[in-house]
Amino acid sequence: MQESAPTIYVVDDDEGVRNSLRFLLKSVGLMARTLASANEFLNTYKPQQPGCLVLDVRMPGMSGLELQQQLNLRGAIIPVIFITGHGDIPMAVEAMQHGAFDFLQKPFRDQDLIDRIQRALERDARNRAALAQHERIRASFDSLTPREREVLALMTQGKPNKVMAAELGVSQRTVEIHRARVMEKTGAASLAQLVRMAMDLES
Amino acid sequence: MNANPKDSPQHVVGTPAEPPQSSGAEQRSHAPPAALHGRLLQVSRMATIGEMAAGVAHELNQPLTAIANYAQACSRLLSRPGTDPSELQQALAEITAEAARAADIIRRLRALSHSRQSDRAPVSVNALVREVIDLVESDARLHGVPVSLDLANELPNVLVDAAQIQHVILNFVRNGLEALASRPSGAGRLLIRTAAAPQYEVELAVIDNGPGITGEVAGRLFDPFFSTKESGTGMGLAISNTIARMHGGSVGYRPVLPAGACFYILLPGQASA
Repeated sequence: MQESAPTIYVVDDDEGVRNSLRFLLKSVGLMARTLASANEFLNTYKPQQPGCLVLDVRMPGMSGLELQQQLNLRGAIIPVIFITGHGDIPMAVEAMQHGAFDFLQKPFRDQDLIDRIQRALERDARNRAALAQHERIRASFDSLTPREREVLALMTQGKPNKVMAAELGVSQRTVEIHRARVMEKTGAASLAQLVRMAMDLES
Repeated sequence: MNANPKDSPQHVVGTPAEPPQSSGAEQRSHAPPAALHGRLLQVSRMATIGEMAAGVAHELNQPLTAIANYAQACSRLLSRPGTDPSELQQALAEITAEAARAADIIRRLRALSHSRQSDRAPVSVNALVREVIDLVESDARLHGVPVSLDLANELPNVLVDAAQIQHVILNFVRNGLEALASRPSGAGRLLIRTAAAPQYEVELAVIDNGPGITGEVAGRLFDPFFSTKESGTGMGLAISNTIARMHGGSVGYRPVLPAGACFYILLPGQASA
């Protein structure tokens, strides 16, 4: 489902700035995909594509801030690094309040941009790994039978097999079989890990 | 709608100090001394350009950013063995082009702010618009407002002081952009239109889709020192009015339906030779 190489999207309406960013990133071995407007980005962007977004705050039509809001509405997790012109600090503050990863004022030191991009890509990879794990746990929990789910609930409450058997009106042997199935299906190595997985799903 | 100069507001800069006269010598008695007039124009022009400075600063920052990016990339490439010189060539060519772009922005600004004696020459209003359009667009971009042009073909030339008429255009644009500040971001539109008007005149209009102007305010728009803006001097439109009259033309305002304002200047066209 995931394409492996992360993409650095650069969205800026200024062709000169756009091309220079692509050249700069290429000089350090980073491939950038440059786009001239927020709409072009929305038409291109696939949520499952890992990467980060370097976004000009001011653009005609949909501004960078508005694009950020659109992405927030869509639940996109791509980290956004804003690049702002002189005197756009209030806009940068607003962007940060809406969850921007970082911002840089034009013109910037190349190392500052490269460092931020690297950190944004790491953040994105972490977020995606956490999300993927969450999905895996959900899928494994979804595969449990109703009876196994009952056993899971009692397990996470720390109840011993004897108590479970009494509460469910089955033999201890049956409880043991259900327990083993739950551990097998969820891939949990220990009861502690199973409890953490259950908590992760609730959060 | 308001093609006849006689219908348009007839206020002239300096009127409060000089009681209006109804004699036939009206035109002359209203004219401020030439030196004062020149200075007033210069002040107004600088004020308008000052208001546009943020847009220009933003615009200059773009090529500077591009130059910085290319230069830093070159420095990285040079410190790496086996770099292809053609790659550096490409970046250096881009640096040169971006520097030229920055110089161009400054040249246009200087051409506009340069103090000039009134020197009239036959020129097409479309050419006047095209000369200032980059400055207009840089200012409009800062406001997130796209600008479109609707320039009529085959207009007669006008005999004007180009800098003064361009000052009027910039003034109308500033007003439009300020009117659009109340619109949600991305909704504002600005149109610059030229058209042939009756009586062999040429109309140059700046149209916005802002809230428009109420009747009460509309009647006083071209009065000196009248302003609805907290920071306004109230001189922009009054000076535009004076410039138009000095050229035998007029300025005016009309509402735009369903919403918006249209400021226009009418100038007498030259019969083609």
